[in-house]
Amino acid sequence: MQDGVVSVAVVDADRARATIVEEGLRAAGIPRVAIVPDSPDLLDRLVTLAPDVVVIALDSPNRDVLEQMFRVSRIVERPVAMFVDRSDAATMQAAIDAGVSAYVVDGLKPERVRAIVDMAVMRFNAYSRMRRELEEAKTALADRKTIDKAKGLLMARKGLSEQDAYALLRRTAMNEKKRMVEIAQAIITAAELF
Amino acid sequence: MTRLSVGYVPLTDAAVLIAAAERGFAAAEGLDLVPVRETSWANIRDKLVFGHFDAAHMLAPLAVATTLGLGHVALPLAAPFWLNLGGNAVTVSRPLAAQLAAKGGLSGRLPDAAAALGAVARERAAAGQGALTFAAVFPFSTHAYQLRTLFVAAGLDPERDVRLVVVPPPFMVDALRRGLVDGFCVGSPWNSVAVDQGVGTILLLGNAIVRRAPEKVLAVPAERAGAPEAAALIRALAAAAAWCSAPENREDLAAVLGEPRHLDLPAAVILRTLDGALVVDADGTVRTDPEFLLLGANRPEPAQADWLFDAMAAAGHLPEGSRDAVRAVFRTDLYDAALGRPAGP
Repeated sequence: MQDGVVSVAVVDADRARATIVEEGLRAAGIPRVAIVPDSPDLLDRLVTLAPDVVVIALDSPNRDVLEQMFRVSRIVERPVAMFVDRSDAATMQAAIDAGVSAYVVDGLKPERVRAIVDMAVMRFNAYSRMRRELEEAKTALADRKTIDKAKGLLMARKGLSEQDAYALLRRTAMNEKKRMVEIAQAIITAAELF
Repeated sequence: MTRLSVGYVPLTDAAVLIAAAERGFAAAEGLDLVPVRETSWANIRDKLVFGHFDAAHMLAPLAVATTLGLGHVALPLAAPFWLNLGGNAVTVSRPLAAQLAAKGGLSGRLPDAAAALGAVARERAAAGQGALTFAAVFPFSTHAYQLRTLFVAAGLDPERDVRLVVVPPPFMVDALRRGLVDGFCVGSPWNSVAVDQGVGTILLLGNAIVRRAPEKVLAVPAERAGAPEAAALIRALAAAAAWCSAPENREDLAAVLGEPRHLDLPAAVILRTLDGALVVDADGTVRTDPEFLLLGANRPEPAQADWLFDAMAAAGHLPEGSRDAVRAVFRTDLYDAALGRPAGP
């Protein structure tokens, strides 16, 4: 920690998520943030960078490498420990739930570390939400295409208006206690068979 | 059906757990056993500590470390069942293998390998070259202690004369190829993968270093280890272990372990471990050991806890006076009670 400025390394194979965490940390007033690739030579890279805090995604196998860093001070000059604030199990729990963990150089004030971990947790959660929403949007778009196609088939083969075709789909879905997209898919499959 | 979420790392020695879930042994005990694949031992520990998992496939020394709170929040764990004994091997890079071969170190016997390794390490030191680097899978692992045993037999000081690092199993072969490490001790199937890719030579099978070495346990939070579902899980695992140990089931076992959602590897590579017939070098040399990986020796014995205590203490991993605490992790009583055996040592 040169001149009192905390430096953070973010280890994550998901580059987009790493960038979001990096932006969050910078916005929180931590200027020294480096994204480190999740590669087999992680330890050497970290020794060169000498960060005060390492934020690492739980889906990185390299977590076990960091576990070693606080055992082997001969390799890393400054002992590094997992962020374990015994008074604050909630922070740990939130981090595990969010899919992130942190390792910290000895001697850093717990409040400073907690602020960094909290920010990483927020950003990981925000990223998961974004991904989920994107997936939902993709699914919704695909569903609408399927429904439109089924509607077109009903209009062509049964001579229905668009409105009536839609109403028929919806009524059938309600009667069968199924989703409209499932009925639409069944119509498309049947049409392909006949 | 009681749902149990059990974490595992995709290794051949998760076989008993996966077979219990996939071949009906858990269902027969009224359990909906869900194995959850994890990428690191640290995740296994944390998710067990914070209640994401009901139980886990765990390195035996990590169960001890978690109980004692070494480097982490302590959570007392109970280990009532060995998922396996043995199954590790030491693999070295092709260049190091060539140096060891010149000194008669590739016989597969510990004294020969150790003598050759010691000689090579001393020659390197005399020539001013860096210390040899070996990798284990976790600081608290049987792999690390097996490597230390090899170094001591070679007359090397594990703290000074060699560099011992941690590399996650999926990165081992790449680290060897890139020269980041000169050798490693890892479980199946990664030694075979290194040989198949022409990157490494298997120096020693685990039994050549420590016979029937304690390896993975079923770890359960101690406060819930006496619950009926824990006993049901032990019974399901015991039935699965018997099935896994029968040679006629090996092909089916290798196939299910190799599936993309588990190890995601060719069944043939896994089968070599189960058969105890390992190709040790790219030239096709095969070394056999029918007890290479023992899936059916499941009852915790006090002698195993004592071996672990000695190994962890020698590595400087344990605080003073923790022998009883280490023994208390391995719950022979729960194993016996679950299987309706009379209590006894």
